[in-house]
Amino acid sequence: MASIELNSVSRIYGSGASAVHAVKGIDLKIEDGEFMIFLGPSGCGKSTTLRMIAGLEPVSGGDLLIDGARVNDVDPAERDLAIVFQNYALYPHMTVRANMAFGLKLRGLPRSEIDTRIADVARVLSVEPLLNRRPAQLSGGQRQRVALGRALVREPRAFLLDEPLSNLDAKLRSVMRTELVKLHRKLGTTMVHVTHDQVEAMTMGTRICIMRGGEIVQVGRPQEVYRNPADTFVAGFLATPPMNLFPGRLEARGDSLVLVAEGAEIPVPAATAPGWGGHAGREVIIGLRPEHLAEAPEGPAPAALQLSVETVEALGPETILNLRLGRNGPEIAARLPADGDWEAGQPVTLHADTARLHLFDPATTRSIPRGAAHAL
Amino acid sequence: MTAATPMEMRDRRFGWMLTAPGLALLAAVVLFPILWAGTTSFFDYTLIMPGYDNFAGFGNYAKAAGDGEFLHAAWITVLFVLAVVSIQFAIGLLVALMLNDTERGKGVYYLILLCPLLINPVVVGLMWRMILHPTLGIVNWLLSTVGIEPVNWLGAPDMAFWTVVLVDIWHQVSFMVVLLLAGLSSLPAEPYEAARVDGASALQRFWHITLPMMKPVIAITLLIRMIFAIKTYDIIYIMTRGGPGTATDLISYFIYRRAFVSLDLGEACAMAAMLLIVIAGMTALLWRTMRTAQDD
Repeated sequence: MASIELNSVSRIYGSGASAVHAVKGIDLKIEDGEFMIFLGPSGCGKSTTLRMIAGLEPVSGGDLLIDGARVNDVDPAERDLAIVFQNYALYPHMTVRANMAFGLKLRGLPRSEIDTRIADVARVLSVEPLLNRRPAQLSGGQRQRVALGRALVREPRAFLLDEPLSNLDAKLRSVMRTELVKLHRKLGTTMVHVTHDQVEAMTMGTRICIMRGGEIVQVGRPQEVYRNPADTFVAGFLATPPMNLFPGRLEARGDSLVLVAEGAEIPVPAATAPGWGGHAGREVIIGLRPEHLAEAPEGPAPAALQLSVETVEALGPETILNLRLGRNGPEIAARLPADGDWEAGQPVTLHADTARLHLFDPATTRSIPRGAAHAL
Repeated sequence: MTAATPMEMRDRRFGWMLTAPGLALLAAVVLFPILWAGTTSFFDYTLIMPGYDNFAGFGNYAKAAGDGEFLHAAWITVLFVLAVVSIQFAIGLLVALMLNDTERGKGVYYLILLCPLLINPVVVGLMWRMILHPTLGIVNWLLSTVGIEPVNWLGAPDMAFWTVVLVDIWHQVSFMVVLLLAGLSSLPAEPYEAARVDGASALQRFWHITLPMMKPVIAITLLIRMIFAIKTYDIIYIMTRGGPGTATDLISYFIYRRAFVSLDLGEACAMAAMLLIVIAGMTALLWRTMRTAQDD
């Protein structure tokens, strides 16, 4: 098991004017035994960071530490980490057994030890009947298991998982998500998992590290990041449908604050958000999650919104309504129970839970904290 | 199987119409000479008394199989093929591995490497005959500047064989490089990364990853090169005429001499047919290897 620390770690491709900064001096500490998720859109630097940890990419600047020891110039073989690649990277000419045994043979383990480890892992991953097959004779899901098995038999200090579930179909992905979480709980080994799938991030990780443009935007426990997104990017990236973000203005009216947006005025009791008082009279970006809109008033300070239905997405267990705020206001989404009966064009009144509203500064896109009375 | 619809019939007819001129031309210049030579191999046909009056059956084949000179030529050819193909493969793989890791100037290296391959074999032969001339050649002059006695490159029996081998290597090695390099650059990068993390050194990666994954490409490259090496004729004709003595008497040149110097066309055709069977067998093997590689 290992802790992994990144101090101002950067990765630059090329030099001079054409240099591309893929990772821009990030700081992060992954604790021993943690399941850390690197989440972000394509090109955000998450895979590059993982590959730097693995030793497959050189570190352009900063320090990379494993268990406190600087490993910037240490060969991948000596880092004692195992990686599972997106396309599995199995050795095509070797059988499943040989794929698993390869790393162990190179480390000079005795034959009996290799056989025992392979048998144990094959049983855990249910790949025993596949041991004498070649990768070409396996399905995507089986290959994924073998790739995982190859990493597991090594018993490394940490597992690095580079989007290992992205090539699987939705059902298998869901199964493997659960299995990986169980595996982590059983082994207790540090795992770093790269993904662009926010469901994986929310359900699997101890903590999520959200990246954008080579920088870390926010690090925190999944629910913490969901509840308190650091900026509009995080707010718009997590959950499906994502948080509704629309422009408005924060005004002070007596003891109360009112958010004025195109097509709606949302009163916010000042006591629920003392931190916002100082922003009265300023333009803001209002953030409201689709699940915090309801047909009946909810929470300590609900606010009624007049909307009209644009489209209805009946998903089975729930219905997503795409609505227009007021007559010409912004389009927002609401996640409602499936039992409603809505039609496009129909006017509807929904109640926003103002205690769960978010405000963001339009200039910096950063969240404006509610202050001490923040109650969820 | 259902009968072809009128539209399919029309398509088939059109297909035949398009291929007919090409097929006719191939039949005239390839199929006819092969059939003619095949037929001739069963007759006592000489250029002094051309004609199909004396049917010899497999006589010409039996005569060839018992002909010491023919067997010697076949043996020399086997040695030549083994020498050129193995040395070319070793050099070709080494250069391809180096080029595969090269980032800058790859195009320039390619251009330089391809130059010999673009030169006509007759020109290659003439060029090297001049370069290796015992008294006027630049090689012996260069050797003399460092005090080495002139070498009779093409005049001494042992030396002539290896000189021809070296010239063929110079001419054809880039073919190996190009084919092996194409194979190397098409290998997926991920297994190498997995192997690095698994703890494999550069040599172990070459042995356990590169070589096994390159197996189909290597097999195809070796077979193609062997087929071409067996047929080597032009360099021999220009450089040594099979000599000195019979030191470089490769089978293609030997058959030519049997036909147009000894004028025994019937026996030459039998020898050519035997050579054709060997090459056809190798081509079938090549075809099977390619199919297997595709299936993998």
